[in-house]
Amino acid sequence: MKLYTSVSYTVLIAIFLGILFNSCKKEEEEPQEEFDKNTMAANMSANIIVPSINEFDNNLSQLESNLMAFKADVSQQNLDLLRNSWKQAYITWQTVKIFDFGPIRNIGMKGAIATYPIDTTDIQNNISSGSYSLSTAANLDAIGLPALDYLLYRKGALDSLQNNPNCVNYVEDVINKMLSESNTVKSEWSSYQSTFNESTGTSSTSAFSYFINEFNRDFELAKTAKVGIPLGKQSLDVPLPEYIEARYSGISLELLEASLIALRKVYNGDSFSGGSAGVGLDDYLVHLERSTLDNTIDSNFEEMINKAQSFSLTFEEALDTNVSGLNELYLMLQSQVVYIKTDMTSAFGVLITYQDNDGD
Amino acid sequence: MTATKSAKSIISRALFKRVSIAPLIIFRIIFGALLLYGSVRFVSKGWVKSLYIDPEFYFGYLGFEWVHTLPGNWMYLPFILMILSALLIILGLGYRVAAFTFFISFTYVELLDKSNYLNHYYFVSLMSFLLIFLPANRDFSLDVLLKPGIKQKTTAAWTIGILKFQLAVVYIFAGLAKINYDWLIRAEPLKTWLHAHHARPFVGDILRNEVTAYIFSWFGCFYDLFIVFFLMMRKTRMLAYLAVIIFHITTWLLFPIGVFPWVMIFSTLIFFSEGFHQKILFRLKKVFGSKEKKRPKVIKHKKQFLPKGLKTGLITTYVLIQLLVPLRYVLYSGNLYWNEEGFRFSWRVMLMHKEGHAVFYMKDRKTGRTSEINNANYLTRTQEDQMATQPDMILQYARFLANEFDGKTLHYGDHKFKIENPAIHAEIYVSLNGRPSKLFVDKRHDLTQKKYNLYHRDWIEPYHDK
Repeated sequence: MKLYTSVSYTVLIAIFLGILFNSCKKEEEEPQEEFDKNTMAANMSANIIVPSINEFDNNLSQLESNLMAFKADVSQQNLDLLRNSWKQAYITWQTVKIFDFGPIRNIGMKGAIATYPIDTTDIQNNISSGSYSLSTAANLDAIGLPALDYLLYRKGALDSLQNNPNCVNYVEDVINKMLSESNTVKSEWSSYQSTFNESTGTSSTSAFSYFINEFNRDFELAKTAKVGIPLGKQSLDVPLPEYIEARYSGISLELLEASLIALRKVYNGDSFSGGSAGVGLDDYLVHLERSTLDNTIDSNFEEMINKAQSFSLTFEEALDTNVSGLNELYLMLQSQVVYIKTDMTSAFGVLITYQDNDGD
Repeated sequence: MTATKSAKSIISRALFKRVSIAPLIIFRIIFGALLLYGSVRFVSKGWVKSLYIDPEFYFGYLGFEWVHTLPGNWMYLPFILMILSALLIILGLGYRVAAFTFFISFTYVELLDKSNYLNHYYFVSLMSFLLIFLPANRDFSLDVLLKPGIKQKTTAAWTIGILKFQLAVVYIFAGLAKINYDWLIRAEPLKTWLHAHHARPFVGDILRNEVTAYIFSWFGCFYDLFIVFFLMMRKTRMLAYLAVIIFHITTWLLFPIGVFPWVMIFSTLIFFSEGFHQKILFRLKKVFGSKEKKRPKVIKHKKQFLPKGLKTGLITTYVLIQLLVPLRYVLYSGNLYWNEEGFRFSWRVMLMHKEGHAVFYMKDRKTGRTSEINNANYLTRTQEDQMATQPDMILQYARFLANEFDGKTLHYGDHKFKIENPAIHAEIYVSLNGRPSKLFVDKRHDLTQKKYNLYHRDWIEPYHDK
């Protein structure tokens, strides 16, 4: 009797499941937008992440060799070449810094390459003493690309570089430190790439979750650090020009533009080197039947990038003469945060936190 | 009169009927082991530091804000106490003190910060509270070894019944909560959560299929509502327990839900028959070579500590509280999932996916200037995420910010601001169960003017679903 009951239960459940799965199979035969997180991850790593890291490494090598040329022949012309390669590296970095997980996170590269504002006193003290360890936490605001912004662009930069051997040495040490970091990351990504491509789960520790989280965080950073803080958004509307990124060279808005373009490329899955479009976050949203959201995010990107490009002045000049323009830009960035952090992330079912926890 | 009297005596008989103590003994060992595992796991994951030492601010519970963290590494103390008392519970040594210690240390930690609220932590709190009052050490324990006189072969039926009741409350309320539009008709949030697993080998395509989300949702609801009844009936018990195992293992594989599945899989063994537990107990005793001593003179029915009437009253009170607390949401108007009024302590498990983005503003009343707050300066990411979608936490944070800036002098460039009694505003967007985000809190409200209490919060934007 008992056996009979449990057998009949099992049969009933099996029939029930059978019917359901059968009907779903039919549904699946309909042509469906093909999408796969693994494909997307593979596209991201092969066409954006790894190429940008390699490019950054190349930029830094170029920077280093330009410094050697400058040392051999100190001239304004060679300083300009040096500055150009610095700028190129800084632009490339806007893509690389999105990927602050795995190898980049492991060595704390994001902080080491681009912490600003820098502390000019620290830099000057380091230079005059001639002995320093650049990897200490205390020197985090005396190294990286922002430190070079100061050393290559401050008033009388050429003079100091020419007459103070400590100064050139410092520049060299800063570059070498970045080079060794980019080398490490480059080689570690060659093995991490497959992990990244496979780790597409939803737990907060999966590479995919990190990727989405960092994408969001980097966008917020562009909003807050590149625009909001210098604009006075966190200081009772008092503008803080000392918080402008790359203040000495005045390329802050170009960096913002590069950062937004990089984020859009990642969103669309477009390859780093330009050209081909691959599987990106946009395709994922479309697959989830959220094309309206995709369109919104897309047109917002378009709008804010155009806005960033529309400034003919530096950020610092705009702070004096075009605050309303900067405010408009800021609002655009702010509304986009809601769409990517709230709508997009919840559509993906990703836990937007690092804390691995006991959910329920 | 006679009717109530006989009802009383029926209840009394049901509560105090003598039954085998074996299920209680086995439960003590199993649950003690779960407590031990959970505590060790918590410490080893580094959560003590990240959740209870690192944060600058904690979201206390209304009425329990006086519960504070211990300074620095002293926060490990309650966890050490939990580990030790869980061990003592398993061994049945100093059992009541151990159960009490566990309950106090665990509940203390839970009361510190509601950002870490989980239904299953609440469940553990309740179960360890109940354990204090149960004679779960009266057999196969070191207490009995030391003091054979306390050994009991039987126990009052309520001591086991109350555990079954607690489990039934968890399941049935969880099931009732699932009877709602999103869960049954839209199959959300499961649709989103399952779809996110589409890249898994073999099962990916099944999980991304909408039909699967519907099956999971409906089955989950049915399971929660009725599993306890199937477990109680001898005929269906084996099949039901198989369902328990499959259900909880599936959730464990798919969702980040930690120890909870194991807690339920092992706790539900309490529904098994006396004979089943007696057999296990017998085998355990054999393994540990504890001989049934020639019937130690069991002191027959020692003076009961509390009179039966009082006991009945206390048990009834507990039962009523457990039945009413999850229903308190009916006292609030508006959408429960949007407003989260009467949401916690109600066994609403895995019921929604809420994502929010909150920007807070501190306004200097004198100059009318505002500053955007960088939440990361004060909150951990978990706290920020939790706060952004939960109204009471939003208010708590606003009050904290007001307090933080009050009386401060801020220097920006050449400007100097002496802040006094600042206004705090917030603009918050929330997405519920995969819907497009909507305004949750409007910037027009000065949150420092809003009362923090249990009344309905009218400053939450009304929820409109198209």
